[in-house]
Amino acid sequence: MEVMPMSEDDETLGRATADRSLRSRLTNASYIKRVLAGLAGILALLGVLGLLFPTSVAGDLSRIVFRWSVLVQALRISTPIALAAIGGIFAEKSGVINIGLEGLLIISAFAAVYLTAVLGPDTTIAFIPAIWIGFAGGVLASVVLAWVFAVVCIEFKADQIIAGLAVWLIALGLAPFASTLYFGSRDSGSLGVTIGNWPIVIMIASVAIAWVVLYRTSFGRYIRAAGENPRALDTAGVNVSRIRYAGVLLSGVFAGMGGASLSLTIGLFGGTGETMVEGRGFIAIVAYLFGNYNPLGAFGASLLFGGLEAIQIRLQQLGYAIPDTLVQTIPYIVVILVLAFVGRTRIPKAAGEHYETEE
Amino acid sequence: MSRADRLRGRIRAQLGWLVERSAAERALISLASLFFAIIVGAVIILISGRVTECSTAAFYLPFTSIGFCYDPVQIYLLLFNGALGSPFLLGEPGLIDPSWSVFNFRFGFTLKETTLLIFTGLSVAISFRAGLFNIGTQGQLVIGALGTALVMVYAAPLVPAGLVGGVVLIILGLAVGAIFGGLYGAIPGLLKAYADANEVITTIMLNFIAANIAFVLVSSVFRDPSSSVVATYEIPDYAQLPSLAFPASSNFSEIGLIAGVFAIAGLYYLLEHTSFGYDIRTSGVQPEAAEYGGVDSKKTIVRSLTISGAFGGIAGALWVLMQTARWESSVPALGFDGITVSILAGNNPIGVLPAALLFGMLKGGAVEVAFQTDVPSDLIGVLRGLIILFVAMPEFFRMIGKRLLGTDGQAPDAGTTDGGDADE
Repeated sequence: MEVMPMSEDDETLGRATADRSLRSRLTNASYIKRVLAGLAGILALLGVLGLLFPTSVAGDLSRIVFRWSVLVQALRISTPIALAAIGGIFAEKSGVINIGLEGLLIISAFAAVYLTAVLGPDTTIAFIPAIWIGFAGGVLASVVLAWVFAVVCIEFKADQIIAGLAVWLIALGLAPFASTLYFGSRDSGSLGVTIGNWPIVIMIASVAIAWVVLYRTSFGRYIRAAGENPRALDTAGVNVSRIRYAGVLLSGVFAGMGGASLSLTIGLFGGTGETMVEGRGFIAIVAYLFGNYNPLGAFGASLLFGGLEAIQIRLQQLGYAIPDTLVQTIPYIVVILVLAFVGRTRIPKAAGEHYETEE
Repeated sequence: MSRADRLRGRIRAQLGWLVERSAAERALISLASLFFAIIVGAVIILISGRVTECSTAAFYLPFTSIGFCYDPVQIYLLLFNGALGSPFLLGEPGLIDPSWSVFNFRFGFTLKETTLLIFTGLSVAISFRAGLFNIGTQGQLVIGALGTALVMVYAAPLVPAGLVGGVVLIILGLAVGAIFGGLYGAIPGLLKAYADANEVITTIMLNFIAANIAFVLVSSVFRDPSSSVVATYEIPDYAQLPSLAFPASSNFSEIGLIAGVFAIAGLYYLLEHTSFGYDIRTSGVQPEAAEYGGVDSKKTIVRSLTISGAFGGIAGALWVLMQTARWESSVPALGFDGITVSILAGNNPIGVLPAALLFGMLKGGAVEVAFQTDVPSDLIGVLRGLIILFVAMPEFFRMIGKRLLGTDGQAPDAGTTDGGDADE
């Protein structure tokens, strides 16, 4: 790492970030354009095929893809993934790879249902329905776990990958454990209330807010600098550790909203096997890699995964006899293909490394 | 020339000292992590005792009247005692139960878990040593188990029934498990080596894919229609690994454990005394230096993940051969437990034996705890994560150690910490 002359710290930092952001904006643009063009091409092809052969599979598919209810369904499915992905962006941009997103989703999905059940699903407290207090409780649980992860990684310099795995496995054990204690089984059973489509609104707002914060505020610039060039940030007089704490805690906030959305949209927690989260946290990681660390890109990638699932559900309803377990495997396969053929994005330079403050 | 030699000799001596010291330090960190995980687990048991309801409290917070339904010390005693098949009479006069025998059902269960954990632990250990975070042992186990069950079911009519046929079938089953698991492990290896796809994500995705594909294959093609769950036909009795001294209901076969000990020795030899093992270890610690020194890193990645997968597959085969006699959809999470075992063992094959025994005891004991109290056996799932979390932060223990020894105690060597962290 190059040492910068002490006199022109701020100027150098400013120039360096400007340079980099210009460059990355250019590469971003071409990358995103390529991906978008590809998607538009597939959709256009499908539309043409559907018009030409309305009775074929393509006809059915095109009617599914261009249908409002399927879009809503796709948005609903992509909400937890997109929210977790935004959280992951904040953590990784600040220099901490948070592979424990899955654990944050699990713990918040459970805590939201648990708190709602404890309060009584139909009660309102100070005009706030219990389900929204439950939602907040889910976010809080995720933030607490994210805080533990942050302390372990930043304070005690743990290997981020291993610590992230630990966060996942702790949640994977703790949620079914607590569910068995309170609900008598790993699955909570239905609460009888759901949160409706509000999470979609929250998710879209989060995407916009995250983009603005990351690219239009000085805090966002600090976050990006903490992951790219922590030394420069340090010499500029900003506490790198504090920025990284903020990044990881924000990942807890967003992933917590994702997990709470997931369980409260159906109104129950499922804790058997790999829990109801079923790898969405890991899919979220791939979503933001695919989206090149841009909240908008991550949203697009999440919508792609959600869309695949929504199309699958609709195909089942139309009576295509494909075993649904097999079709549910498609997102996982897509994730691998994306990683292998598309997702060669440049990770933040200092991500995964500890930073020692220089005296 | 001679000076360079002398220098090299001195560096080597120094390195040997460092390695030894870091091994001891690692063992210490593992034990301390276990201790802290158990303490945190105790707090969780206490809290869970506030969530459930009971008429009389088992434990009161000292100097207060705040009661808890479960006494953590009691739970842990029960857990330890239960893992061994309850040799101790807790809270009764006389310490040891005279009717207790080593060859009891519960201890057999503990050893069965130990045997399976040895193989999943070794599977994780070899990949972690190569610097590859293979989280896919679970999927490799599922695929290996499926391969073993199917091939044995369909090969059984071709060989004579009885001892000879049984031996042939068992060897065939283990080989098939290793091959299936190995091939499945090679996939993330190839993806990592030739497409630069992060192995953590690909292996986790492959776990889901394995579970789904195996489920679909069995439920739509190979299902035994007389079974109420999704499962294959059973392999014949004579082709299952028998329990020799332990009760058959424990599903523990001593042959499996012996095989596990041999596997440990084999992997240790491979890692420490062959040139391939040297390649693996150096790529794990210093990938760039290893490549510079002539190690073909792509080949090493694919090979080590294939071997890792083979061990996962053998674990699956043994699960079928000892426990279920068929593939069924409720595959236990032995692959994830293997991560904890390997990390506790410092990714050292020799360390896998005590780590697997320890974790096997936790699992065996937890079943007994769940049987006798309302504390769910999912407690082990929590401990599994906590142990990894603590082992992941050696710095935490160094800080405690420094505080205990005083500031002028042994200042940790930068070389030691680097070496220690890079291995994981």
